[in-house]
Amino acid sequence: MQTILWIHGDNLSPQNPVFQAAPGAPAIFVWDEALLRDWHISLKRIVFMYECLLELPVTIRRGEVAREVVAFAHEHAARRILTADSPAPLHRRLCRQMSQHMPSGSRLEILHETSFVDVPGNIDLKRFSRYWQSVKKRALNP
Amino acid sequence: MSADMQREFANREALIAYLAQQFPQAAAAADEVPPVPGGRRAAEARLKQITPGKAYSASRNYLNGAVSRLSPYLRHGVLSLAEVRDAALEQAADPAEVEKFINELAWRDYWQRVYRAMGDGIWEDVEAYKTGYAAAEYAADLPEDVAAGRTGLACMDAFSRDLRETGYLHNHARMWLAAYLIHWRRVRWQAGARWFLTHLLDGDPASNNLSWQWVGSTFSSKPYYFNREALEKFTDGRYCRACPLYRTQRCPFEGSYEALAERLFPYAEVAAEAAPPPRKKR
Repeated sequence: MQTILWIHGDNLSPQNPVFQAAPGAPAIFVWDEALLRDWHISLKRIVFMYECLLELPVTIRRGEVAREVVAFAHEHAARRILTADSPAPLHRRLCRQMSQHMPSGSRLEILHETSFVDVPGNIDLKRFSRYWQSVKKRALNP
Repeated sequence: MSADMQREFANREALIAYLAQQFPQAAAAADEVPPVPGGRRAAEARLKQITPGKAYSASRNYLNGAVSRLSPYLRHGVLSLAEVRDAALEQAADPAEVEKFINELAWRDYWQRVYRAMGDGIWEDVEAYKTGYAAAEYAADLPEDVAAGRTGLACMDAFSRDLRETGYLHNHARMWLAAYLIHWRRVRWQAGARWFLTHLLDGDPASNNLSWQWVGSTFSSKPYYFNREALEKFTDGRYCRACPLYRTQRCPFEGSYEALAERLFPYAEVAAEAAPPPRKKR
């Protein structure tokens, strides 16, 4: 199945799991104009991220992210979009929007990179100290 | 569908000129450029230079300490926490030698997990302030003199300028600036958090907002604050020496922790019970 890769700002590495999963697949990054405006992102942050992007085999566009990614998939007759995971709620919203606008039979897959430490699902996140006590041994001895 | 953006540039100046033209709003608000380059090559070069053992743990609280400066690369996933941790472990005969360094990496992992659980809730106060003041008693907006670096306080003005010009502040400077805004100027942490996200190359909503909440006491058991003596020590006196307020009563940071707590948090239950010890810096 023809695949495209959606690269986002939380994973600008050539080691990004999506590059490993589908080497050579067309990849896109979209500057989220609403986010840049709402967060008043300064030029220096844009320059830094752009320099990261220039080391990746990726087409760079700007606009509404979900719409641009789906259009890119359409250009490449792709029915599968791969992206790296992110904890950001915006990432979840964008994935949902993309899924809604992809043709039937398409799918969006979210890949995970190697985690810093595996933790139990019921870990106590109320304070860092409790988290650290739970993970310290594994974090120091991966 | 928008057009492809440019990928070939003669040099960094050409790239910056192109981006300033493409994103005029960002350039108009703050047109400084990052002093460090983005990209995996730069990240790997910096990773090779880390000194995560005793050099780090003994000096990390000092502004000229042996900190890694990897945060912009970690924030954008150019490096993963796991590979930085593994690089640190490679330098250690015993993992305990690099425990503090790995503990600091763990803070980022922790904030990311909290973000996943809380989502946009990280913009709200996780808990009430423990300062004796209600959230409504804090100003909503960033004071202009702080944003412009014109408070007259040599330290805070330098931090404000560094933030704007370089997109980087040492962790201790971030904490002092946050504490100054929240506790001395009584500004809501959200105003400061938004300001940092505009400028920090490593600006990440999770680490940023939740650290601000930690300083403010809306995600910790008591407020973080500091005094002039501590700031002078960890900056090797570079700001105090240049400050006209040095060792005068006009320096708002002058005084013991006990005296400052009485001044800053007169209505706080914790502060009223007994003078709190200085918060341990994370």
